Amino acid sequence: MDNHTRPVKIAALGMEQRTYSTLQLFFHGHCEDNYVLVEENSADISIIDMDGFQAYRMLEEHKKHYPNQPSILISLSHDKAHDAEYIRKPIMLDALSLALRRAKERLQQPVTKAPDFEAPVAEITPQSQMTDSKPEADPPLLLSNIVHNPQKTVRPIKSGSNHFNQFRYSTNFLTEDTDLELVDTKLAAQFNPDDPEQVAKFQYQSKQTLQGYFQQAYFTALQEQQNVILKGVWRPITILYKSKQLRVEKNFRHLYALSGMLFDKSEVSITILDNNVDAEPGLHETVLPAEPFLWKLAMRTSRGRVPMDTNFTTPVKLIRWPNFTRTIVTPHALRIAALWAKQPTSLMDTANYLAVPLQHVFMFYTAAVSLNFVASTVTETDHSTIVLPQVKRHRYRKIFQNLLERLRNN
Amino acid sequence: MINYKIIFTGPVGAGKTTAISTISDRPPISTDKIASDMARDIKKTTTVACDYGTVRLNGDDCLHLYGTPGQQRFDFMWDILTSGGIGLVLLLDNTRLDPFQDLEFFLDQFQDFINQTQVAIGITQMDRKSSPCIDDYHNHLGKQGLTIPIFDVDARKRHDVSLLIKALLFSLDPGLLENHD
Repeated sequence: MDNHTRPVKIAALGMEQRTYSTLQLFFHGHCEDNYVLVEENSADISIIDMDGFQAYRMLEEHKKHYPNQPSILISLSHDKAHDAEYIRKPIMLDALSLALRRAKERLQQPVTKAPDFEAPVAEITPQSQMTDSKPEADPPLLLSNIVHNPQKTVRPIKSGSNHFNQFRYSTNFLTEDTDLELVDTKLAAQFNPDDPEQVAKFQYQSKQTLQGYFQQAYFTALQEQQNVILKGVWRPITILYKSKQLRVEKNFRHLYALSGMLFDKSEVSITILDNNVDAEPGLHETVLPAEPFLWKLAMRTSRGRVPMDTNFTTPVKLIRWPNFTRTIVTPHALRIAALWAKQPTSLMDTANYLAVPLQHVFMFYTAAVSLNFVASTVTETDHSTIVLPQVKRHRYRKIFQNLLERLRNN
Repeated sequence: MINYKIIFTGPVGAGKTTAISTISDRPPISTDKIASDMARDIKKTTTVACDYGTVRLNGDDCLHLYGTPGQQRFDFMWDILTSGGIGLVLLLDNTRLDPFQDLEFFLDQFQDFINQTQVAIGITQMDRKSSPCIDDYHNHLGKQGLTIPIFDVDARKRHDVSLLIKALLFSLDPGLLENHD
């Protein structure tokens, strides 16, 4: 996007780690390293989050020390009181690109006086936006984007390579998630599946997310028995169908920062690769197991919601247990899995029967359905076979409770 | 005092003794002997009677952990061991020549016990040999209409063995309460 001889240095001020990581990934991938994040004192341009506790004070300080440095302010509200570019949250990639381009143009102007520029952000049409905005119509499947043109980009694995062992116990990131507790389970306490407004609130457009595109690429690889490469604003992700692994950039954690964004299908491509050979990671790449990666991605994207068109009252059955020792155990996941293995049960009935927050059921369902571990047992219109949970209380329940307590405490 | 027991079974070298020692309150009583015949190539000692560990529960109750001998010539003990058991943990060694044959063998041997209780399966040694993968085991069992918890397990890790037992307990009674699984 830019032909600068050196990258433009950007300071990201007042941002939480996830926003910072998203920017980092955006500059690295989408902007092809034409921008780079640096400290405030060496920056050309600053991006300031105005929704922080002391944001205005920070802005004043910044203006005082760096009066000629172009700034881009991001905020939930559209405040034009300051002499700067404004981008309203959710941040749209096009809006950010445009604001950066304008700030860069200002950099190249001679500094004679303080600029008095206001960005017409309202006119910017987004291609990608945060999922918190109203979802658009369900897009068609991306199969038209799948290129059946095998590319020989997969490097042959070295004889005797044991990269499987190398990453196996170094991927704790895929089995831990400190954000689990951030889901506000009270939000769905009064959820009514017959109320379209509430249903819309707890569903999301999974097909347009990184999760959706990755899912499509992964299952294309498995179905076609071919290695597949997924490209977008992120660094390419290579899916190795045989080992069910990914070749991905070492700093793959940034990908999870994209979980809340929607991408137009024109921004994404899925290409089938030549797979006569296996693959090993490049210098800046690592290899990850695909299932825990997708499981966590779906869980993060879900944030206690379910994919669009999920039926809340149709019984769900467990097709296979997730490999819980190597994936994140979402709250109450073992109980939900055991119930659905024993007795197909709807999402609503599951929450009632197990007396667990509905959003924990949604979270598990979303992660499990992304990997086809669960399925509905009847079609939406056929409710004749629906049965309520009839799982009996085990005569040793008290003992089992004690044992669970022991296992948890030790 | 009421005694309950969980049975650990599987072929030689699958990690039964290790798994029991991982979660037992006290060092397990093991009847390992210098291995002979077919077990000799796999490990130095093998269990000829049974492994035994305990987990003290609230009050006077106690959970007993019994490991079956891995060698098939001691299979006469299995029926005795399972008597009064509440569930089965089957550990399979992924580096064995045909793990599916082991799977079939043990499911068949313990069929009556499993029908009365539940089973959870742990696949060990996957760090040494990743194939067959967990999915392959599920596909194998799926053909028989079985939906059983199957986890990649390191028998030395308490986290892994605990999860396997939890899955067994919830399979027995999904209505069990726990704040965090």
